[in-house]
Amino acid sequence: MEMAAPQVLMIVGALLFGIGVIGFLTRRNMIVMFLSTEIMFQGVLTNLVGMGLLRGDLNGQALGIFVLVIAAVEAGLGLAIVVMLYRRRGTLDADGWRTMRG
Amino acid sequence: MIENLVYIVYAVTALGAVALFVGLPRGDKPQRNGLLFICMALAAGVSYFMFDAMLGSVGGKVPLIVLSLLSIGGALRMVTHPQPVYSALYFIMVILATTAILVLCGAEFLGFALAMVYAGAILVTYVFVLMLSQQSTLHSDAFTQGFDYDREAREPFWAVAAGSLLAATVGAVIVERDWGGIETVAVEGGDNTVALGRILMTQYAISVELAAVLLMVAMIGAIAVARKHIPQAEDLTPRRPLGAAGREAKPY
Repeated sequence: MEMAAPQVLMIVGALLFGIGVIGFLTRRNMIVMFLSTEIMFQGVLTNLVGMGLLRGDLNGQALGIFVLVIAAVEAGLGLAIVVMLYRRRGTLDADGWRTMRG
Repeated sequence: MIENLVYIVYAVTALGAVALFVGLPRGDKPQRNGLLFICMALAAGVSYFMFDAMLGSVGGKVPLIVLSLLSIGGALRMVTHPQPVYSALYFIMVILATTAILVLCGAEFLGFALAMVYAGAILVTYVFVLMLSQQSTLHSDAFTQGFDYDREAREPFWAVAAGSLLAATVGAVIVERDWGGIETVAVEGGDNTVALGRILMTQYAISVELAAVLLMVAMIGAIAVARKHIPQAEDLTPRRPLGAAGREAKPY
C-alpha cells in the first residue's frame, strides 16, 4: 500500500525540526543536545521524502540516504568531541565551557 | 482541502509550544504534569483533525496519522525529559514511528536503513557514552534525581518562541502553497529497493564513493580526537639510549 501524503510528511518534518531546535537551545546536557540535532536530521529526512513524493521520482530518497550518512558521521565525531570535553572538565554540562564565550 | 487550514497549523504549533514550555524541567519547581497532559492531548486532537483534513479521502489514513502523532509526541517528550537515558528511549520511539511512516509512504529502503543506522548503531553509541560518563553517579543521589544541568532548562521561553515560530512559518507555507497535482511514485521495473539501488549506482555513483570516503575519514578523526594515552609498562621504565648496551658490554 502506498500513500501519496507529501504534505503530511512535510508538516511532520517541520514540527520535528522545530522541536529539535528547541531541544538544542534549551537543554544543557551535551549528549541530549546532540540527540536534538538527530531529531532535526529526522525532520529534514522526512521532508526530503515528502518532496520526493511530490516530484514523483526517487531523487529525494537518494538524497535521504546521503543525509543518513552525514548524520552517522556527525554522531561519531560529535560523540568523540563530547568524550574529549568530558575528560577535560568532568561534566557533561555545556555551561562548563562558558569561558569560550569571550 | 478545507479553507483556513493555516489557522489550524498555527493552533497546533501554539499548543505544542505551550506543552513544551510547561514540560521543560525547571530546577526544583515541581513539574506541572496535569497541565502538560492537557496541552499534549489538545495538541494531539487538533493535529489529528489537521492531518485528517490534509489527507482528504485517502484510504487507510488512520495508521499514518497515529504514527505521525506518535513521532511528534515522542520528540516532545524526548526534549522535555529530565533524564538523558529516557530521552534516548523516546528517541528510539521517534525513529521507529518515522520508519513506519516512510514504509507506509512507499520508501521502504530508506525506512529500514533509518531503523538500522539510527536505532541500531547511532543510539547504541549515545547510550554507551551516556553510561560511560555517568557511571560514577550510580550510587549517589544524582542517579535518582538527575544532575542539576539536566533538571534546569536554559532560556525556555525564548527558545520555545524561536522554535515554534520557525515551525509555524514553515508549516503555513507548506499548507498554503498549491503543490499542483500530487502523484504517487511510478517506479519503473521492480520495487522501491531495486529502483533506489539502480539510481544510486548510476546517477549518484561518485557521491556514493565520496560518502564512503567521508565515513572512513570520520572514523579516523573520531579515533584521533577521542583517544587517550594509557601508560604501558614499557613507558614507565626509562628507555635506554640507542647503543647503550653495546657500550656497557665488557670487551671480549
